[in-house]
Amino acid sequence: MTIRRDSVTRLPGIRRGVCGSALALLAAGALGATAAPAPATAAAKTPTSRPLVLLLQSHTARVRPDGHAQRIEAVASRRPLTRVRTVLPVLGEAVHGSWLRVRLPGRPNGHTGWIAAARTRLASSEWSIEVDLSARRVAVYQGARQVRRFPAVVGAPSTPTPRGRFFVEEALRLAPSASGAPYALATSARSNVYAEFEGGPGQIAIHGRNHLPEPLGTASSHGCVRLGTKAITWLARHIGAGTPLKITR
Amino acid sequence: MSNRLRPRRLRRSVVAIAAALAVGIVPAAAQAAPVDLATVGPFVVLGGSAVTNTGPSVLNGGLGVAPGTSLTGFAAPAVVTGATHENDAVASQAQADLTNAFGVAGGQAVPPGNELTGIDLGGLTLTAGAYGYSSSAQLTGQLTLDAQGDPNAEFVFIIGSTLTTASASSVILTNGASPCNVHWRIGSSATLGTGTQFVGNLMALTDISLNDAVHVEGRVLARNGQISLINDVLDNSKCVKSTETPTTPTETSTTPVTPTETPVTPGGTTSPGSTTPTPGSSAGTATPVGSPTKAGPAGSGGAGNKKDRSAPTRGGSSTVTHGPQGPNGTAVTVTGKKIGKVVVRVDNEIVETSRAPSLKMNVNGTPGTHTVTVHVSYKDKTAGKTTTFRIHVPSPAPLTPPSGPSKFTG
Repeated sequence: MTIRRDSVTRLPGIRRGVCGSALALLAAGALGATAAPAPATAAAKTPTSRPLVLLLQSHTARVRPDGHAQRIEAVASRRPLTRVRTVLPVLGEAVHGSWLRVRLPGRPNGHTGWIAAARTRLASSEWSIEVDLSARRVAVYQGARQVRRFPAVVGAPSTPTPRGRFFVEEALRLAPSASGAPYALATSARSNVYAEFEGGPGQIAIHGRNHLPEPLGTASSHGCVRLGTKAITWLARHIGAGTPLKITR
Repeated sequence: MSNRLRPRRLRRSVVAIAAALAVGIVPAAAQAAPVDLATVGPFVVLGGSAVTNTGPSVLNGGLGVAPGTSLTGFAAPAVVTGATHENDAVASQAQADLTNAFGVAGGQAVPPGNELTGIDLGGLTLTAGAYGYSSSAQLTGQLTLDAQGDPNAEFVFIIGSTLTTASASSVILTNGASPCNVHWRIGSSATLGTGTQFVGNLMALTDISLNDAVHVEGRVLARNGQISLINDVLDNSKCVKSTETPTTPTETSTTPVTPTETPVTPGGTTSPGSTTPTPGSSAGTATPVGSPTKAGPAGSGGAGNKKDRSAPTRGGSSTVTHGPQGPNGTAVTVTGKKIGKVVVRVDNEIVETSRAPSLKMNVNGTPGTHTVTVHVSYKDKTAGKTTTFRIHVPSPAPLTPPSGPSKFTG
């Protein structure tokens, strides 16, 4: 689908960069079925931007847009590392916009489900990230335009970076002494090798290289994508929760 | 400490079938029979119990309801270019003909290869024929209908229960396919998601709901239920036969368009056909006008209309208005006479193509200055006009991520 629109309004609770949107109708649906959307909220048309949804409370993801449909999982309203609000990419809608098909974090990688639009707020992002594993590069897009490209360290053959479509769950600043400092973008991807790692769920992140000496342009990480300090700092200043991420071979 | 996960088993057959359908053309095994709408023809919207509208929807065609009597929300700023029939003899006869057409569509034989139950219409390319869903159907993304050069190619979709389209989904016609020959027979209700570009005659047994900014080239017809619209554009002008009586405008917000060029104003107005950039933060209008000959009524340019044949051939005009940058972008409005097609580009990339008689939308972009180009072509021989202006989208401040623990795979 070619949903397009964006992005100047900043939504409460969403970090900057996850911009308010555009999907006016979706937004109206998200705010409740009884709220008739005003004409002025018509969807803004831009070449490209991606619809997102902010969870105002925990939701149950289901296999179909139906409150009685099979439950997939609970989706917490806040992310575990920084407690920011959960922001998910929106892939579609149903039943007058009262249900949203969203991409979900965690395993199985790239899975999707339906959540009720009540107690959510619509947003959108102009940003997207693509990781090219064979080129060992990270490209950042603003709309359809590639604005940055960084050399990266990707997963070693024995601990590969998983491929597919994901999103940034949360961005965080790491302690200066921490491995991978100064910043990390925690993603919805999970390692296909490690069920857990360092007390975490085998979560794949894009982060820095503090205490991680393997050179850029190599396939030598445990699955995460490592960037130079300038690159990850730039990303952390521009990329917010919910930003779509594509990892390709 | 780490645990190795077992590799997940893929359902290879399902994936392979889905992939094949996603990229391939699904040929029809047999031609579908024509579905005659008879007196439904002039209606672009016909409801059973009620029709409600919110916002400045544009109905290029007739509006009716029967046996119900409720038509709500069609005063200005909504626009209805055709006649309105509220449970009168015309609407009742149209409902009877709709019932007949509904039966004809539903009675068509669906070849085994055209059973699409469980398959999303998005990504499919279908050739002429009858297609079936035993239960609900979903459109997520783009459906292409390929007439393979046959202008009489008929497409009939027989859906057992509901039809739902995701936001920004679209139905695309190619190789001569006509919106008049596309029929959707819905066993219960239909919901078209935000921004859906839909084509064909949508016939539902119960309710039809169009979310915001839906564009329908065809008709929306409910037998027993209600139809709800929100800021939508519906146009049946391509499918109105010449023998059908021209319709009379009922409600219109269209202000008279002066057949002279509007001068540039300091507030961000652009001249017709100019490429003069204007400050993006200010509102403006532009009125590209063709030869100042007598113009017909706004929105009366239906194909095959006898009245139009005698109309002046250069009577088109349009006004392009753009407002200041707001939270949802910059509002752009195109109104005028005999508008055939409006193409809106942002930085030379098409963001909207409309064949409606008027257009209202928001445009936006990434931070920075963008060039918006609105090209209007007309149904008659009026020369097309291009209006160009600039919008400025402010940059957000840099982010400051909160601190957190490093628990990643590294």
